[in-house]
Amino acid sequence: MTLKKRYLRIAHILFIILLLIQLLPAQSTKATHTSSLVTFAIGFEALVLVGSALIKKEESLALLVDIAGFVYILLAAWSLATAKYNYLNDLLFPAPGKVIHQFVIDRDKITENIKSSLITIVKGFVFAVAAAVPLGLIIGWNARTGNAATYITKFFSSIPPIVYIPYGIALLPTFKSVSVFVIFLATFWPVFAGTMSGVLGVDKKIIDSAKVLNVSKPEMLFKVILPASLQQIFLGCNQGLSVSFILLTSAEMINAKDGMGYYVKYYSDFGDYTRTITGLLVIGFVVIGVTFLFNKLQNYLLRWKR
Amino acid sequence: MTTNKIEIKDLTVNYIENKRSFNALHDVSFGVGKGEFVSVIGASGCGKSTLLSVLEGLYAPAGGTVQIDGKELHGTGKERGVVFQHYSLFPWMTTKKNIEFGIKQTRHDIKRTERSRIADEYLTKVGLSEFGGKYPSQLSGGMQQRAAIARALAMDTEILLMDEPFSAIDAKNRVILQELLLKLWEGDGTTERKTVVFVTHDIDEAILLSDRIVVLTAHPGTVNEILNVPFERPRSRADLVKTEEYGKFRNKLLSLLYNDIAERIGGDEVVL
Repeated sequence: MTLKKRYLRIAHILFIILLLIQLLPAQSTKATHTSSLVTFAIGFEALVLVGSALIKKEESLALLVDIAGFVYILLAAWSLATAKYNYLNDLLFPAPGKVIHQFVIDRDKITENIKSSLITIVKGFVFAVAAAVPLGLIIGWNARTGNAATYITKFFSSIPPIVYIPYGIALLPTFKSVSVFVIFLATFWPVFAGTMSGVLGVDKKIIDSAKVLNVSKPEMLFKVILPASLQQIFLGCNQGLSVSFILLTSAEMINAKDGMGYYVKYYSDFGDYTRTITGLLVIGFVVIGVTFLFNKLQNYLLRWKR
Repeated sequence: MTTNKIEIKDLTVNYIENKRSFNALHDVSFGVGKGEFVSVIGASGCGKSTLLSVLEGLYAPAGGTVQIDGKELHGTGKERGVVFQHYSLFPWMTTKKNIEFGIKQTRHDIKRTERSRIADEYLTKVGLSEFGGKYPSQLSGGMQQRAAIARALAMDTEILLMDEPFSAIDAKNRVILQELLLKLWEGDGTTERKTVVFVTHDIDEAILLSDRIVVLTAHPGTVNEILNVPFERPRSRADLVKTEEYGKFRNKLLSLLYNDIAERIGGDEVVL
């Protein structure tokens, strides 16, 4: 790649335009925290430049700078519409610098809430996977129960997990345990169904190969059927994970004392829309981060696939 | 009484397809001696693979018996190693792990470090010493079958069952693999040869490798003829094809196979 291709991209021009826009006088009556936005933009651009220097593949580089370009356009339009020309109601639409500033001020509180949400998700999710995978393997491997269980699973997974919330509240002592319970249900059924369909779909040739090797029953289940069904299991896990985030944040908005959904709901009740938007963006980053890590795990465990 | 390693007697296998039962094998009988290499050859649909799945223990016959060392066969067994046409290897294990996993199944007393050493030894024997860390999907079809053979041999079973192991391999690699199997099976005279039942539809492959060839006729599969292969060991393809007897023997085998087909399609007898 030439130096020109690597460093002279439209994204960097957009970055400069974004900085120039910040030189315009602010018209908003509220604090705009332009310096926070500028610091953020410079930091972000620095990361993009470091990335550009390190990335080897041309497509990855193009992707990175294109994403950066979109971020700069978004921030430029946002600051023009709010801080600079005040087209929008500045109570409902805080300036971007303000949101960034708020994030820095609230960072400890936000970290606490993210932690609380993630612990709840991980608990419900891990319990569900730990229960659903072995059960799915055993029940699916048994031809008779496997077919019957598929229908039962279809019934239970068709109940939207959110309707369990009122019953969970009656059933369980704390709101935290209700959240874990609902996430458990939301993950259990898709993972269980995925495992069973994986088991039922394992290539007969692979099973024959294992049979003629005389593998023991536990080995058949966990060393042959499990890896052979792994892709289907991950399909279920991904579904469970995305539903879990929807459920958890909804649940946190109902009655929780912490968590990301709570943060958003609490401050919007007070009309603090800067924090509301900060919360929304943070949730986006958290979900993307978790999904990204989970995909990494999936790609690692399925690295033997072509 | 017989001293055969494998004794097949009056074997009959029925398949049920679309609620209709059809006869895949009918009264098939032959024996395989200890250390003998026997090929089963026949046109497609003659039931030769069915015969092998009965020997593997994957399919129960409707009638007749199979005995190994005088004991009736029930299900799969640790004295038999198998190489299939496809998917002998587990795709989620590296080549070496596949071999180690096989060794673990038949040779319980062997420790982990020893397993690893044996796996390396057999990888080297089949020319895959640098591919132990690769997954099957990263190997060519020929290399996968090399690894499958390495696993079957490393498991050190008394019997090897091979179901058209080279039929999905390109012509050039097939020849190389046949020679490799021949060399490994014939050995250097210090070790006992394994008892092999080898299913194929390739005449030259059968002649090169076997002590005896069982020719099956289709619909239902019955034994047409059993031929002794009259060539000295150790064999090599290059020496074998030069001889006049090879051509004669090959033609005899061909006519046995083609007459069967000609009869079925109502044509004249093929004269070769």
